[in-house]
Amino acid sequence: MATRIHGIRAALLAAATALTAVLRADAQPLRLRADAVAETRSPAPAGLVVLQGEDKLRPWLGVEGLVWAGARTSGAGGAGVQPGSDADILTLNARLREPHGLGELRAGRFVLATGAVRPVQLDGVAALARARWGSTVELFGGTPAAPRLGDRSYDWLAGGRVAQSIASRGTVGVSYVERRSRAEIADEEIGADLALAPARWLDVAARSAYDVTSPGIADALVSAAARSGSVRVELFASHRSPGRLLPATSLFSVLGDLPSDTAGTTVRWAAAPRLDVLASGAGQVVGGEAGGNGWIRGELRTDDRGDGSLGAEARRQHVSTARWTGFRLIGAHPLGRGLRFTSELEIVVPDEPRGRGLVWPWGLASLAWRPGTGWEAAAAIEGASTPEHRYELNALARLSRSLEVP
Amino acid sequence: MRYALTFVMIASLGLAACAGVLGLGRGSPSHPFEHRAHVDKGVSCVECHAGISTETGAGPLHLPSAADCARCHREPHDRRDCAGCHGEAHVRGGAELARRHLRFEHGPHTRAVKGDCVRCHVGVGERDPAAIRPSMATCFTCHQHKDEWRTRDCDACHVDLAAEDTPPASHLVHDGDFVREHGVRAASARDLCAACHSERSCAACHAAGLAPALPSHLRFDEVRLSGLHRAGFRSRHAEEARADPGLCTTCHGERTCVECHQRTRVAPGAGARSPHPPGWISTARGGGAHGVEARIDPAACAGCHGGAGELLCVSCHRVGGPGGNPHGRRFSSTKDKLRDLPCRLCHGGGP
Repeated sequence: MATRIHGIRAALLAAATALTAVLRADAQPLRLRADAVAETRSPAPAGLVVLQGEDKLRPWLGVEGLVWAGARTSGAGGAGVQPGSDADILTLNARLREPHGLGELRAGRFVLATGAVRPVQLDGVAALARARWGSTVELFGGTPAAPRLGDRSYDWLAGGRVAQSIASRGTVGVSYVERRSRAEIADEEIGADLALAPARWLDVAARSAYDVTSPGIADALVSAAARSGSVRVELFASHRSPGRLLPATSLFSVLGDLPSDTAGTTVRWAAAPRLDVLASGAGQVVGGEAGGNGWIRGELRTDDRGDGSLGAEARRQHVSTARWTGFRLIGAHPLGRGLRFTSELEIVVPDEPRGRGLVWPWGLASLAWRPGTGWEAAAAIEGASTPEHRYELNALARLSRSLEVP
Repeated sequence: MRYALTFVMIASLGLAACAGVLGLGRGSPSHPFEHRAHVDKGVSCVECHAGISTETGAGPLHLPSAADCARCHREPHDRRDCAGCHGEAHVRGGAELARRHLRFEHGPHTRAVKGDCVRCHVGVGERDPAAIRPSMATCFTCHQHKDEWRTRDCDACHVDLAAEDTPPASHLVHDGDFVREHGVRAASARDLCAACHSERSCAACHAAGLAPALPSHLRFDEVRLSGLHRAGFRSRHAEEARADPGLCTTCHGERTCVECHQRTRVAPGAGARSPHPPGWISTARGGGAHGVEARIDPAACAGCHGGAGELLCVSCHRVGGPGGNPHGRRFSSTKDKLRDLPCRLCHGGGP
């Protein structure tokens, strides 16, 4: 049975690839991008190639893919793992669309996220139908993606969402999802979501998921944003029950409920044509203990195109046992002829070092070259003092190529 | 008096420098084209933008050349190209992008408004128009497009939104704290997001379980990105996880922690010391700190002790075991405790 499911999944992905080849004629330009990255950090992967492409074969049919292949050094992947290569598919799917948008079908490997259903990578199918009066019905099903098309016998996920738009001012939706792991129920949730724009300057969004297996709210989020001129103010709140977010097959999902709650505000101010300021503050209750966090970030673009910039950020986290202060500086400076120098510095000071170092500094300096022919090259030196290592130095390099065919 | 004068001069120079840096001043001789002056002089739009009233959406843009200007301005004050100073490159660039990415014909529109171009190009009437290209809201003053909005049918006007790569003028999400905000905003509008963003946009972050380094992490030279995992995240990841229990679980699988720790050799069996503080497990009532901490962030426990590691907990907390009942006061479940996982580990015969 395991082999059969594995085969079906592989066939589905192969079909998406074949479809691309068959329908290439008179398609729009195929957009491709390849990134090759190498770094010296050990035992992390020594090299990585990421390939991505998308094409709109017909107005009603599009395909896209994103795959990676990597080489690992000895020790990467755990003790006893030999040097070698590896590869996987992050997304590979076809999207069929009714020409007037009344329905669409996605098949292959894709990220499923709709309504209160949290994002999950799925090897499967998702169908959506829309009515002109604003009703939407979505159905989806498949097996949650496993690394290297690995065996996940009797794992599946299925569900759907029904939504209705309200006089072009908003949408309200109800969703249901059930997930099985080795045929045992891992998640069963009913969700509700809402989006409203009662005025041009105001919009509100909310979602909540109710856990049926261990009855109670798994998570709930609400966000309301108002805009006036160069200022945008957002109020947000969230409730999260970590035990209910774990699969119900995990022993750690049965410990009871000590939820974490957060409420706060974020303000964005375009203070000048080239200066943006973003600040946020929130109160939190984690495990019955009150705390909070806040940060302020400013970014100054040093030219009209935004090629050069200077930025600074200060942050304070003070909740439960997570108490630290951080500062971050960024700088980007165009050197001409497609060359650009960037640097980044972060300093984190934990309140309780516990033998992990008093300060965790991290810095990066990079030089990138974009000659404008689709090629990009970048190299960087990264240095840090981390809780694990007193000193750490790493070199990184990337070579990228973007092109359109034909 | 001399000091005051010096102070005023330095302050003026400082303000002038700041104005330039902040974008309040102008560093280049180019300036917005003097549309208003031409309108005030009674010059019709089509006198300079000749052929616009029959334009079909193909061919070159109808931007006037220096020769067109010279038809009236017979004695130019400068020998250089007029467009070098009069008019801004980004405005012309906007027109070129519109030609490439929008299905639009000036011809029928010009006839519909009886040659009153300002009805759409409202910016030309202002002294310092930031952009002359009409906003989408301007289109909606005549074209309701309610059906197209409901069905996400953008193709009637936009050639390919994903390739257009232009955020809307007043976007719901991109202006704020995107990483935190986008999830709740996308909940009701996944298909609206998909009008511009491909699956790869989501997979670039949400495919955490399938790649050793996600595409979003490869752009180390893009220091303006402010994602959750930027800069020295590896150092502070434990603090970040403790500050918002359950947040990691929304993208990462149950086994992410242990898989990464094994790769980086920060795991049991590799000579590492226990990450737990003194008093973590005690034989006294309450069992030490681990019980409360596990309830606050059970995903952190599952990160290392998930799967087969759960048997460590079962050895103490099984029915009749010395660890006692691990369920919190408000715990309830619809599962069959003798047959279903994980209940049967403690209540039944084991795995």
